Amino acid sequence: MNTRLIKIIARQEWAAFFRARLPLGLYAVLLSMSILAIYIGWQYVNNFNEHQTEAKEEVHDHWMKQPDRHPHRVAHYGYLVFREKSPLSFFDFGLDSYVGNSVFLEAHRQNTINMSEAGFSNGMLRFGELSMAVVFQLLVPLFIIFIGFHTIAGLKENGLLKILLCQKATFRDVLLGKAAGITLLTWFLFLPLLFLGLLIGTVSHSAGLSTDELIRMGLIVLSYGIYFLIISMIVVAVSAISTNARNALMALVLIWILFYVMVPKSAQNLGNTIFVAPDKITFEQGIESDIAKVGDSHNPNDPHFSELKESTLKRYGVDSIQALPINYGALVMQEGENISSGIFDKHYNQLIQIYKSQNSIASFLSFIDPFLAIRNISMNLSGTDFESFTEFQKQTERYRFEKTQALNKIHLNQIKFKDDSKQRVNAQSFQQQPEFKFQPVPIKMSLRHGAMGISALFFWVLASFTLLSFISKKRQFQL
Amino acid sequence: MLEATNLTKRYGNHTALNQLNLTVEPGEIFALLGQNGAGKTTTINLFLGFIEPSEGMAQINGVSVSENPEEIKQYLAYIPETVMLYSNLTGLENLEYFSSLAGFEYSKTELAELLSTAGLQTQAFDLRLGGYSKGMRQKVGIAIAIAKKAKVLLLDEPTSGLDPKASNEFSTILKSLAARGTAILMATHDIFRAKEVATRIGIMREGCLQSVVRASDISANELEELYLRTV
Repeated sequence: MNTRLIKIIARQEWAAFFRARLPLGLYAVLLSMSILAIYIGWQYVNNFNEHQTEAKEEVHDHWMKQPDRHPHRVAHYGYLVFREKSPLSFFDFGLDSYVGNSVFLEAHRQNTINMSEAGFSNGMLRFGELSMAVVFQLLVPLFIIFIGFHTIAGLKENGLLKILLCQKATFRDVLLGKAAGITLLTWFLFLPLLFLGLLIGTVSHSAGLSTDELIRMGLIVLSYGIYFLIISMIVVAVSAISTNARNALMALVLIWILFYVMVPKSAQNLGNTIFVAPDKITFEQGIESDIAKVGDSHNPNDPHFSELKESTLKRYGVDSIQALPINYGALVMQEGENISSGIFDKHYNQLIQIYKSQNSIASFLSFIDPFLAIRNISMNLSGTDFESFTEFQKQTERYRFEKTQALNKIHLNQIKFKDDSKQRVNAQSFQQQPEFKFQPVPIKMSLRHGAMGISALFFWVLASFTLLSFISKKRQFQL
Repeated sequence: MLEATNLTKRYGNHTALNQLNLTVEPGEIFALLGQNGAGKTTTINLFLGFIEPSEGMAQINGVSVSENPEEIKQYLAYIPETVMLYSNLTGLENLEYFSSLAGFEYSKTELAELLSTAGLQTQAFDLRLGGYSKGMRQKVGIAIAIAKKAKVLLLDEPTSGLDPKASNEFSTILKSLAARGTAILMATHDIFRAKEVATRIGIMREGCLQSVVRASDISANELEELYLRTV
C-alpha cells in the first residue's frame, strides 16, 4: 500500500467532482434540502415547545386554582405532564412523531402513553418525514452512489484502469485512493454542514450549550463520518466488481433499496411476528385481573384487606377503625395504590421487554444493513429513541405514585375517618407539591443503548475494508 | 527486453494463446497481426500482468510478469486502442497526474516539453481532454509513456480510427521511441501501418503465432498476401 499514490488518486477524485456540473448540481439540491430540513426540524420543535409551555402553564394554573378540597378528590382531579423534546430532536425526529407527548396522572390509574403500533414505528413511516437525519441517512448515500458508481467501472469501460495500473499504483492503491477521495469529499461537503446545523438548531432552542449536548453533537458528526466512509467503500467495491458503469449503478440502486426499504421493513415485521406485543385492551385487562387476585379494596370481605384491617387495629391497640388515630380509608387507598402500582410496573416492564426484543431484531440486522446501525445510533444520540421514551414513562409513573401517596398521606393524617367525604384540606397543602421535571437519559446510558449499533458500524468499516482488499487481489476485476 | 516462452492461456476448453515464443529487443518494433480472437490482446494482457498464464512465462527485462507483477510496472507503458484519460482535465493535467502516479514529478515546462515531444500542439496543452480528437489523446498517451521513461511499450490497436495524417504522425513518434531504445510490441489490424513502422511482423491465427517476417524483407503487397494466406 503506497499512501503517496493513494493521496494522488484521492486528490484526483476531488478535482473531477468540482469540475463536473451534474454532481455539483446534485450537491446544490441536497444542500437546499438539508437547509430546509434544519428549518423544518427547528420550526417543528419550536412550535411544539411553544404549545407545550402554554399547555403546561394552563394545567399548572388549573391545579393551583383548586379550592380547598378533599385530598382524594385532588388525587382524582389529576395532573397532565408533558414530554419535553430533547434539544437534538430537531435533527432526528426518531420515534417522537409516533409516540404520545403527554400523560394524564391520577390516583389508582396508570395511564399509558400510546404504546402499541406507534411505539415500534420505524422503517417505511420515516419516508414521509424530512428531517436532517433522513437527508443524511437516505439521501447522502444516494449522492455517494451517484458520484461513485462509475469510479472504477467507468475506468474499465474506457480502458483507463489498465493505464492507471501500468503506473506504480496497485489495484489496492487505486481502490483505496478512490474510496478515500469519495469519503473525504463527502466529509467536506456534508460534515461541516451537519455540525453547523446541529449547533445552530441546538443553540436557538436552549439558553446555552451543555457539555452533554456538545458531546452528543460531536458523536453524531463522528458516527455519520464513519457511515459515509462505509457507504463510500461499498460503492467503490461494487464499482470495482462490475464490468461497466451501468451494471454498477443498477447494483448500487438495488443495494440502496435493500438497505433502506427491504431490510428495515423486514426487521420491523420480523420483530412484530417473533415477539408479539399485547394490544392496549389486553394489557389493561391483565393488570386488572392481577389486581383483583391480590386484593379488592372495595370488597369488605376481601382477605388481603381484612388482614390489613386486623393488623392495623392490633398495631394501634384499638378495636375499631373509628378509634384509629389515622384515617383508615386513606390507609386502604395507600395500600391499593401500592398494589396497583407494583402490578402495573410488572406488566409494564414485561411490555417494554417485548418492545425491546422487537427492537433487538433491528439491532442485530444492523450487522447486515449499515443504515439500521446509523439510524439507531442517531436516535440514541438525539434522545429520540425508544429508551428515551420509556424513561419518560417510568419517570411519570414514579411522579404519579409519589404525588398520589403524598395526597394519601394528607388524607391519612388531616382527614378524620368520620364524615370523611365532607371534610376539606387547605389548598396550600397540595399546591406545594413539586413540579414534574423530566431527567433526560444521560449520554453514558445513550451510548450503552446504542452499543450494538456502534459495534455494527465498526464491523462494517472492517468488512468494507476487507472486501476492498479481497477485490484488489482478484485479477479478473482489473479487466 | 520482452520475452514470451511457451506462453499459453486457456479459458476452459478454449485456448486463447498457444505456446507463444517471442522476443522483442530494445529498439525493435514488433507488430502482431491477426483477426479478432487471434490472441493479440491476450498476449498484451499477459505481458501487462492482467491475466495469469496457463503455461509458460512472460518476461520483461528478465523479470517474470506473473511472479513480479509490481516490479515489471517500472519498465512498461501501455496505450490502448482508445486513450480516454480524464476528459475533465487538460492534457497537461492528465500528464502530470499519470506521471506522479508513476513516481515522477515534473515541472510545468518539463510537462509541456514532453507533450511537444509526443507531437501535441502547444495550444492544446491547457484545453480539457473532452475536446481532443482521438489522435490528440493518443499523443497524450505517448507523452505519458515517454514521461515514465518506459523501456517497453505495449500498444493495442493504437492506430485504429485515426485519420491517415494522425496515423502517420503516430508512426513517426513510435519510430523515434524505438530509436531511443524502447522495445515496442504492437497489436494491430493495419497491415500497411505495420509494414511501415515495424521491425518485425508476426501473424497470429487461433492463438498461434503462424509466421514472423522482417518488415524490411517483404513488400506491403507480399505481406498482405501472406496475411490473407495465414488467417
